[in-house]
Amino acid sequence: MTFSDTLLLAFRNLRQSRLRTSLTTLGVAIGIASLAGMVSLGVGLQEQVVGRLTQSGVFDSITVTSGRTNVPGMGVMGRGRGGGRGGRPGQAGTAATAPAAPLEDAALARFSALPHVRDAYPTLRIPMSYTYDGRTNAALAAGVPESSRGEGAFQSITHGTFFPDRTGASVLLSLEMAQQLNADAPGALVGQTLELSYADSAPKAGGTPEFIAGVQVTRVSRPFTIVGIVERDPAPGANMGLSGIMIPLEQAKAINARAIANPQAFLQGAPPQTRRYTAVTVRVTSAAHTQEVQDHIKAMGFTAFSLNDALQGATRAFLLLDILLALVGSIALAVSSLGIVNTMVMSILERTREIGIMKAIGGSDRDVRGIFLVEAAAIGLIGGVAGIILGWGVGRLINIGANIYIERQGGTAGNLFSLPWWLIAGALAFALLVSLVAGSFPARRAARLDPIQALRHE
Amino acid sequence: MLHIRDLCRHYSMGGTIVKALDGLSLDVADGEFLALVGTSGSGKSTLLNLIGGLDQPSAGTLEVGGRDLAGMTRDELSLHRRNTVGMIFQSFNLVPSMTALENVALSLMFAGVPRSERDQRASALLEAMGLGGRQKHRPKELSGGEQQRVAVARALANQPPLLLADEPTGNLDSRTSREIMDLVRTLNERDGKTVILVTHDASLASAYARRTVTLLDGHIISDTGQANTGQVAVQEHA
Repeated sequence: MTFSDTLLLAFRNLRQSRLRTSLTTLGVAIGIASLAGMVSLGVGLQEQVVGRLTQSGVFDSITVTSGRTNVPGMGVMGRGRGGGRGGRPGQAGTAATAPAAPLEDAALARFSALPHVRDAYPTLRIPMSYTYDGRTNAALAAGVPESSRGEGAFQSITHGTFFPDRTGASVLLSLEMAQQLNADAPGALVGQTLELSYADSAPKAGGTPEFIAGVQVTRVSRPFTIVGIVERDPAPGANMGLSGIMIPLEQAKAINARAIANPQAFLQGAPPQTRRYTAVTVRVTSAAHTQEVQDHIKAMGFTAFSLNDALQGATRAFLLLDILLALVGSIALAVSSLGIVNTMVMSILERTREIGIMKAIGGSDRDVRGIFLVEAAAIGLIGGVAGIILGWGVGRLINIGANIYIERQGGTAGNLFSLPWWLIAGALAFALLVSLVAGSFPARRAARLDPIQALRHE
Repeated sequence: MLHIRDLCRHYSMGGTIVKALDGLSLDVADGEFLALVGTSGSGKSTLLNLIGGLDQPSAGTLEVGGRDLAGMTRDELSLHRRNTVGMIFQSFNLVPSMTALENVALSLMFAGVPRSERDQRASALLEAMGLGGRQKHRPKELSGGEQQRVAVARALANQPPLLLADEPTGNLDSRTSREIMDLVRTLNERDGKTVILVTHDASLASAYARRTVTLLDGHIISDTGQANTGQVAVQEHA
């Protein structure tokens, strides 16, 4: 018998007991809906949490400091500065085995040239004072690179926009800072001018010359335009690079180049080109490459660390959650697979005589088994498709309800359920597998029926 | 066509062994019309089921068309049922949900005949049985005689050389019985099918069969074919 004939007979049998077929199929649909819905919830939550974290730039950024050490915090403090001081004997400490590599622009260029690296920029925090409405306060201004546009905390800007260009004298304020300046209407600050003052070593920078440790510095005051106000993201780690006052990285670099951040280097007359940074941030194209790039940078003789391990831990935790949810979801499917067994056994009982006739006129065991297996598989597949649609629909409804609640609680709405293609394909394959397993016992029973007994059956 | 030696079929029923057939031997030539008669429980239906490949012998030799059914696998037996024998039954055994045409085509389906060809062949067979206008009818819309003719058409679909009939007229009135038996005789005489008819009706056997074998308790107690040389001559002629 050809496969298309097997299909023909199987579907005509299914049509003949429409009510039973549809009820069993509905059972499978509910089972698959519960399984797919549960996994979809797990995947959705994972995308919400890990996805947001990944987008925040925590996991695709590597912090590089000069020198080698196993303790990142110590590296920033001790080894980083040690590099600046050069190879003085007895200063290297116990951890260092190789000379510390200087964190200069040349090193930045090498980082940028590594595969999967999107951006490499110095992590700059410049001491400043700001004047607004006649009051002056001190603050650290962070340099924000162009590549942060639309990412992390800058995905949605509460008022105004991101920097209009890379170099302009524009400033972004955190919402807290804006509220300090204008408690009632922080949004009204956009477009206004903020006076920023910083120390400049240039003799003719246009400010008042002062002397610090015998070096002439000039207090420079420049007007910056407030272009936007950024709210800190509630997601942990999403506030990387965020501080009260943020200026374009190019601006920060220009100021930093001439600042007296490192008087010793300044006194030694180091030109701006060989300027050394305390820390550099390297952004990779995706979190998957973080480890690889991190290892590359370490091989160059720098200290590099990232939160990649934490991400892997989170991913593993979500995998466990997915498995747990899938197990809970499988209970309904297990029950519905018993439904398939029941339906097939009933069907065989009803059609015993018909099976006997088929065998008497030349149907083989395989022909009979094939018909029943195809019937079970059809119930499974149709139930699977219906179940995915059902699960998706219920997921959407729950999502709408949950989002209304979340938004009322002041959270951000998102998709709690995610239905990627692999889940659809997997659920269908699983539905097919379960129905074939459930159908195999009854089908085998039908195939082994004794034709004489079957023909006598009423 | 048939070569049977020391054929046994024993059942175990509630701890006791029932010897439905007990060392039966029989030879049937091509083109014979043989009747198996006997009381119920004599073993005639058991023998027919064994020849038809619906059952397997406990011991002995059962050759049909030169091939021994005793050692056949389940798959080989299904091929035997499909290609070597065609069976008709007292209760017709048509699939109730299928039309006459579909019932006949079903046996061609198992033989792997493509759809258009099997519909054509099934239709031609029904036409030959005088059921040209009844092809789309389901069994319950047909009279008993019509149903049995559909069954005959189905039995002939794969052109088997051997036709087995188990009380084919048991559910029919006498006029319809004659029509069916005339049809079977035509298949024997005109088309050369070997026919084995199981019946408890001795008059029906003598009216149509050229050889009658009587069974009792799993043994042959009489065989007219071997006594009647004239009929043997007819057989050889056929």
